[in-house]
Amino acid sequence: MSDARNAAIVRRGSRAVRIRHGGPEVLATVLLVAIAIAVISPLIIPFLFVFKTQLEFAYHPWAWPRQFYWNNFVDSWKAVRIDQGLVNTLIVSLGAIVTTLPPAALAGYVFARYRTKATEIAFYAIMVGYFVPAQMVLIPLYKMEVALKLNDTLYGLFLPMAAFGIPFWTLIYRSFFKSLPGDLAEAARIDGAGHASTFFRIMLPLAQPATILALLLVFIGAWSDYLLSLILLSSQQRFTMQLRVASFLGAYGTDRMPRYAAAAIISAAPTIILYVIGHKKIIQGTIAGAPRE
Amino acid sequence: MSERPGKQAIGPSRKRRVRDGNRSVFIFLCLLPAFIFLAVFLYYPIEETFRIAMTKSSGLGPEPYIGFDNYAKLFSNEEFLAGLLHVFTWAFFSIIIQLPLAFLIAFSLTFYANRFTGGLRAVFYLSNVLPSAITAMLGRFIFAPKYGIIASLSSTLGWKWLSGIDFLGNQDLAFWSVFAIATWAYTGFPIIYLMARIDQIPKEVREAAELDGSTGWHYAMKIVLPEIGYPLRILAVLSTVGSLRLFDLPNMMTSGGPGNATVTLGITLYRHGFVNWNYGKAAAIGVVIFVLSLAFTVAQFSFGNRKGGETT
Repeated sequence: MSDARNAAIVRRGSRAVRIRHGGPEVLATVLLVAIAIAVISPLIIPFLFVFKTQLEFAYHPWAWPRQFYWNNFVDSWKAVRIDQGLVNTLIVSLGAIVTTLPPAALAGYVFARYRTKATEIAFYAIMVGYFVPAQMVLIPLYKMEVALKLNDTLYGLFLPMAAFGIPFWTLIYRSFFKSLPGDLAEAARIDGAGHASTFFRIMLPLAQPATILALLLVFIGAWSDYLLSLILLSSQQRFTMQLRVASFLGAYGTDRMPRYAAAAIISAAPTIILYVIGHKKIIQGTIAGAPRE
Repeated sequence: MSERPGKQAIGPSRKRRVRDGNRSVFIFLCLLPAFIFLAVFLYYPIEETFRIAMTKSSGLGPEPYIGFDNYAKLFSNEEFLAGLLHVFTWAFFSIIIQLPLAFLIAFSLTFYANRFTGGLRAVFYLSNVLPSAITAMLGRFIFAPKYGIIASLSSTLGWKWLSGIDFLGNQDLAFWSVFAIATWAYTGFPIIYLMARIDQIPKEVREAAELDGSTGWHYAMKIVLPEIGYPLRILAVLSTVGSLRLFDLPNMMTSGGPGNATVTLGITLYRHGFVNWNYGKAAAIGVVIFVLSLAFTVAQFSFGNRKGGETT
């Protein structure tokens, strides 16, 4: 449903220039471009600082670097062991995907295609999770993880992430499966396919757009998590990227700005690369998942 | 939710009674994984939160029942009250600053769509996707004393009055500095949300307005704004609920300080629970956050019932 709408937006964007509104349009365009430049400047300016030594930076912060000094990258990489952080965060993000998507797809399918009193009640029971803020359950979650010896492990981090994500993605899968034509499944059933094979062989492949959205957004969500990681992880070597960034903030501060800039560039890079590749899908999915009337 | 049950279901046909049993088994197996996750990590912790909030608990030893004592004490706790005040101040200013800003940008991007503005939607949304730790890092990068962007740019330009300010360490400025970073980071969402809504307004409406010779401003205020009244209210509710849960940015940029200047409900919860190990009080704050966000979510749905039919 939102595909057509988004396609319209995209098409509109790439239309040839036609100044229909004259002066106001020129002014608005200039203003919008200026605001956009201001908005991304915090991501650009670090590049101006990062190739300088602290000394050069202190005297000529805004000048073009005299020579390209790469050690800031090496320093910040070593200071927070970014390699370890990348591996941990990748494990957590992939773990979150593997544990969020299948339960959500299965449940969403049932809620879309098998409507009974019982599934209706089950649906509302799952939606409870949609309204509970993670903050509310932090204390018992932590206590339980300690009791089960799940705390300070990477799976102890992505399992609750999955639990918090499943209600939302169930909702998305449900509305996606509802939008698929019913006769397809009907035809498969007449051909003798069972419930399970109808789902796995016909319906799930058709839900690929929803699955791609979920892959992207669950990955980004898990990658970006700060609160749960802060509560549940305690050993340095298991810290995720975001915890390392936060501890870099605490330990090194902004006194050595070029190194700080290097840390910012390295740690923002994965998200930005992913965004450059998938921004259309990400925006489309975010709009599709936002509450409506 | 009054759709007829089984309307679209691939329901069991009479001929195939054999499959009836399979159908229930299939439904059960499909729902089982989701419910296992929710039972362990959500339903049980929710129940526990309410229970722990009524006890004096530090995670070790006995947990004596003390009724509503934790809640009562919260409302004489300076830090908690500061958090409550900040959260609502934050919500109020998000609504009156970020939403009008988002509306103006969203409207201009759709109304003046051309080659230059076409790709900007993705630029405006970029900062929303950044992990909060990176946002906080860039926030400190901007506001840091001496070497931060503002400080070093203004000292290069010779603006002494500006270059000496420690934005994040100043009792009066810290809150607004964090708020400014949040405005930078999170206005992208209302922009793309409103753009999608504005795009749904039929072309004929716009063409009619143009034939009438109405200006962009007039069209925005008299035609577009009323059309997106309901989405704007949803955004207002989302801002409020988001403010209630605010934690990451103030915790990483200022740790709630200086003093209690940037404390939020989330930060008081964290301090009580994981710094002072006072589980009872922390759980009580969790309940307060939950009840307040539920109240605002319910408000959203009651808006929906009253006004939902008005648009689209």
